[in-house]
Amino acid sequence: MYILSRVLGFVLLAWTGLCAAQQPSLTESPAPDSLQGVQLKGKAPVNPQTLRVVLPKAQEATLSNGLRVALLEDHKIPTFSLQLLLTGGGLDDPADQRGVAMVTASLLREGTTARTSRQIAEQLATLGGFFSASASPSSGETSISMGGLSDKADQILAIAADVVRNPAFPDAELAKYKSRFLSQLQQQRATPAFVAQEEFMRAVYGTHPGSFVVPQENVLRALTRADLASYHKAHYMPNNGIVLAYGDFKLGDLVQKLERAFGDWPKGQARTISLPALTPPGKSRVLLVDRPGSVQTSLWLGGLGIERRSDDYFAVLVMNHILGGGPASRLFVNLREKKGYTYGVYSVFNGSRFPGVMLASMDVRTDVTDPALQDLAAELRRMGSEPVPEDELKNAKRALIGGFALSLDSPQTLISNLATQKIYNLPPDYWDAYPQRVEAITAADVQRVAKKYYDAGKLQIVAVGDGAAVKQVLEKYGTVETPAAAAAGVP
Amino acid sequence: MNRAVCVGVCLCVAAVVSASAAEPKSKPASVRVEFTDITLANGLRVQLVEDHGAPVIAVNVAYDVGSRNERAGRTGFAHLFEHMMFKGSANVGDGEHFYQVFSNGGSMNGTTNSDLTLYFETLPANQLELALYLEADRMRSLEITQAKLDNQRHAVQEERRLRVDNQPYGVADEHFDELFYSNFAYQHSTIGSMEDLNAASVADVAQFFKTYYAPNNAVLSVVGDFKPNEALALIKRYFEDIPRQSEPPAVDLSEPEQKAERRETMTDALARATQVQIAYKTPVGNAPDIYALRVLSSVLQQGDSSRLYQTLNKEKELIVSIGGFVDERIGPGGLYIGATVRPGKKAEDVEAAIYAEIEKLQQQPIAEWELEKAKNTTRFGYMQSIRSAGSRATQLGTLTVKFNDPGLINTRVAGFEAVTRADVQRVAKQYLQAKNRTVIVTNPAPRAAAAPGA
Repeated sequence: MYILSRVLGFVLLAWTGLCAAQQPSLTESPAPDSLQGVQLKGKAPVNPQTLRVVLPKAQEATLSNGLRVALLEDHKIPTFSLQLLLTGGGLDDPADQRGVAMVTASLLREGTTARTSRQIAEQLATLGGFFSASASPSSGETSISMGGLSDKADQILAIAADVVRNPAFPDAELAKYKSRFLSQLQQQRATPAFVAQEEFMRAVYGTHPGSFVVPQENVLRALTRADLASYHKAHYMPNNGIVLAYGDFKLGDLVQKLERAFGDWPKGQARTISLPALTPPGKSRVLLVDRPGSVQTSLWLGGLGIERRSDDYFAVLVMNHILGGGPASRLFVNLREKKGYTYGVYSVFNGSRFPGVMLASMDVRTDVTDPALQDLAAELRRMGSEPVPEDELKNAKRALIGGFALSLDSPQTLISNLATQKIYNLPPDYWDAYPQRVEAITAADVQRVAKKYYDAGKLQIVAVGDGAAVKQVLEKYGTVETPAAAAAGVP
Repeated sequence: MNRAVCVGVCLCVAAVVSASAAEPKSKPASVRVEFTDITLANGLRVQLVEDHGAPVIAVNVAYDVGSRNERAGRTGFAHLFEHMMFKGSANVGDGEHFYQVFSNGGSMNGTTNSDLTLYFETLPANQLELALYLEADRMRSLEITQAKLDNQRHAVQEERRLRVDNQPYGVADEHFDELFYSNFAYQHSTIGSMEDLNAASVADVAQFFKTYYAPNNAVLSVVGDFKPNEALALIKRYFEDIPRQSEPPAVDLSEPEQKAERRETMTDALARATQVQIAYKTPVGNAPDIYALRVLSSVLQQGDSSRLYQTLNKEKELIVSIGGFVDERIGPGGLYIGATVRPGKKAEDVEAAIYAEIEKLQQQPIAEWELEKAKNTTRFGYMQSIRSAGSRATQLGTLTVKFNDPGLINTRVAGFEAVTRADVQRVAKQYLQAKNRTVIVTNPAPRAAAAPGA
């Protein structure tokens, strides 16, 4: 493969909206100096117009018990997909039980008052249907997905409703789950990316729930059936949720089907999340997780970013795209294409009800850790110290806006955008206005947010690699700490 | 209706009938991908799917070359070459291909496996000409220099480190084919050895390009929002005068019959648990038995309803994870099963439990619900696989290069529908025999005294 998808599953770019103004052809100008690893010959026939697309609108309804429903009709293939979002997620876990939302979601399909775990698995599979539920310790929602062939929808929804509404949380299944989860975790901690992510999140968030990629082992072991039942009772209710669906249905059909499956699900007291305080990292730190003999160093550099509703969102979106938001970005073009240090180097950001992270990451061969890290740090600095050249800024906006056309071939993307709008209570025309908001970003905006969020004085640097080979390199960036917690997680 | 994907009338009717009406039980909704398939004067095969459902176009160029075409001492070459295809041609600068695609809101990639090499991009519909120009220019006039080769050699070596050398089980996974196959074509890895990657020369690259990257060795599949006559005119303008080359040499992919189980035990310093990998030789990817083998694989190891998950993970708690697939290749493939052993459990117990489940498949027909599961899951998977323009373009090109039969995109579902419980039992007996098996057990290296910092 020429490129690898990103290390993190973060939602980075939102490919939706209405497309904006005409852009001049880019092919006449050479690549900007800031992109030394790419050569533009100016002969490829680029259409100078950014394609204007009109976003399909979801149709909305509310069931008699308050469950809200939004549907994007998609009659291309006879399938459907439906996501039930319940407010709460891991952020609403009791402070001493971070992880209860996750385990509750995971145990849903391990038995109901009417079906055993095995019956659920077999019945869903027989229909060709899918069902999954998740709620990470740092999530603001429990997300439950289901779907399959549309001619099996009634049967699939009947099982899904039983699983969502009547989980029994059998003790034996909970014990099996814990054992399964902990042995999987041991596996995950053998991969450098997972170790780096855990360490980075701890560095940025301290004790805030944002730090937990997975729950702490002692907390997980202590969870009981009663804890799960209590979380379920407080959060799993129709008026605490929204269904986002796409597929081969009309709204009236879907509402009827949902009324049959979920219509007599009783209302309860809807949740509001009260967020714990977040103390931003005070100063720059350098953390090294030793992985003796590692042939590569995994490097994560960054810090605390923005909430999803932040006023800086669009400036950060454009800045991130220019810095490392894809293969046409500075990091990829300069560190991979020009220097050949790495197979992939990207920057990412996320943000939810609380500020997310903003970071650049790469895996480089051990013996070029020094120059690669120097170049990466220099690129981060340059974003904040120099205004982005006009052409580069234009290209970034063109990419972000042009990509909206692709979302129309992807109902998942459209639904995910709708979810963002609903969860963060963004204006109804948010995605329609998105291109204009991208257009409005200036070079000064980009420079300002780069300086603010990639502040060298607050940069968190995490390295997973051969300590004997890279410790001295890292010492150039500050006192190297060797975190005790992570050492348990590497071979 | 010009829709490329046409949902059958029966379904459209069902959708407007009140949902309380009984659902038609008889026939599943039919969906077809309608495509045209022509060959230009220079041998380039061109497939078009017109679909105005979304304002996008997807272009896929499939070259009939993979690591199967490599010789000893030059492993990794097909994939290294894939990287060179992004380094510029007569009218497209170094890196300009991906830069233009991404800067115009598109996405793209290339991929190489043992059988073929694919290049693909999806762009807003008004950039069709750009996509065709970029693909044609590199097919016609790739620029190959020592500096570019050295640069991508590094990127590929980092890719190898990332995927193989620095990952738990990476080396064992790579070694599996070396044990499983006897024929060099499939025996060596696609990513190649560091030594061979270092040995690749500019002359090798130039010769490889001339031999394999010829229009008569490629399939261009274009799907999306365009008028076919306009698209074809552009395709002819940019591609038709790229000169044809002589046919590449054929590769013998045949395997000698396996007479006894092949087995190895490895150690891996990066691993933390034991891994068991098992594969049985299966026929070529378009053999009739593949359908029954895939149904078998679904019953045995697909999802948490599968026999191996229920028995080994839920009931006996022997493993962390289990799963596998049927590898469908131009030449002989395999039915793969991979399991990670739980701490404190034994690899031999895991193996024994897997073989016990396989024996059941040989002794008794599968349950009705299991057959239904395999068919419905396959049908759902198929529907999803033709949803996007990009996926349809990639499938058409892949099926054409691998089996010279793009029509399989429409006929495969019927192949699964025809499988019976007796078929599954028959293929279990025929292919899942111990003497037809290869096994690698990978143990974590004993941990040295506490690592620094531990």
